[in-house]
Amino acid sequence: MRIIQITLITLALITLAVSSESFAHNNASNKSRVYPENSGTETDAGKVISQFHKAIKKGHKKKARSLLADDIIIFEGGRVERSADDYANHHMLADMEYLAKIHTQVLEHSVQVNGDTAYSMSRTKSSGQFKGKYVNSEGMESMVLQKKDGEWKIVHIHWSH
Amino acid sequence: MIKYITAAILVAISFVSFAHGGEKHQDKNKQAIINIISSIKYGWENGDGEPFRQYFLDFKSARYIEGGGQNAGLDSLVEHHVEPEKDALEYLKLNFSGIEVHFEGDDKSFAWAIADTRIEGKVNKSGKIFDKTGFQTFLFRKVDKNWKVVHTHSSSRNRK
Repeated sequence: MRIIQITLITLALITLAVSSESFAHNNASNKSRVYPENSGTETDAGKVISQFHKAIKKGHKKKARSLLADDIIIFEGGRVERSADDYANHHMLADMEYLAKIHTQVLEHSVQVNGDTAYSMSRTKSSGQFKGKYVNSEGMESMVLQKKDGEWKIVHIHWSH
Repeated sequence: MIKYITAAILVAISFVSFAHGGEKHQDKNKQAIINIISSIKYGWENGDGEPFRQYFLDFKSARYIEGGGQNAGLDSLVEHHVEPEKDALEYLKLNFSGIEVHFEGDDKSFAWAIADTRIEGKVNKSGKIFDKTGFQTFLFRKVDKNWKVVHTHSSSRNRK
């Protein structure tokens, strides 16, 4: 009788621990990126970058597309995409699906603004679970932004792991 | 009437030569950037830090991303990455192709260049031969009339 009691209590504790962990993971993956202070994300160009990250994370397709220059060139995962529509209609959807499940921690981020041109570099750590596989990797991102007609747009992105 | 026609022709000629002058200026800048990329290729292949010291802008937050890792600052790039490869690799062949240069800003003092890359080499210690293809991004700023590299990002995968 005592053995059954101990077994039941142990099982209950294990279930509680597993569900808390998965709850914590879900919560973490819902959180937006936190940028280091004085990284340049407070600038107008930097705000466009953080809005883009947020839009991709939250699956806001129109918003994400609106922040990209029509003729953007994107390097990602050994492939190149040569227009915003090309990216928005293909790889962006996969990126949104992935990032919705993954927690992204910003390790380093720096935005440099020179007049109507800006560039950004960041290093992030991704963790979580996607399609049954655990993810724990570091990613690099370089971006170039151009201000045209008073609006900042991303003209180039290079992503790598 | 002849006066007006002459004036119109002069305006047209000056506009064409101004546009042509702008193009020539752009070509000169593009060539300068391609020459820098060529020097960087030489530096990588020969484990020579000198082209990096000459053409890279050294500043505290400078970051150079190579193969999933990054070098913080010019000294780190040259001393921990470029120069040690001379001893670590039997050979290194780096090829940049399809180079595109884009100029940005009203004064065109910022440029970004992209290229397709192929990296081939042999590791001395293990004898391992690698052959990778990928992409390269270079960011440049014009400082005192000279183009300087402010950031690089290289990513590659094993060639299929």
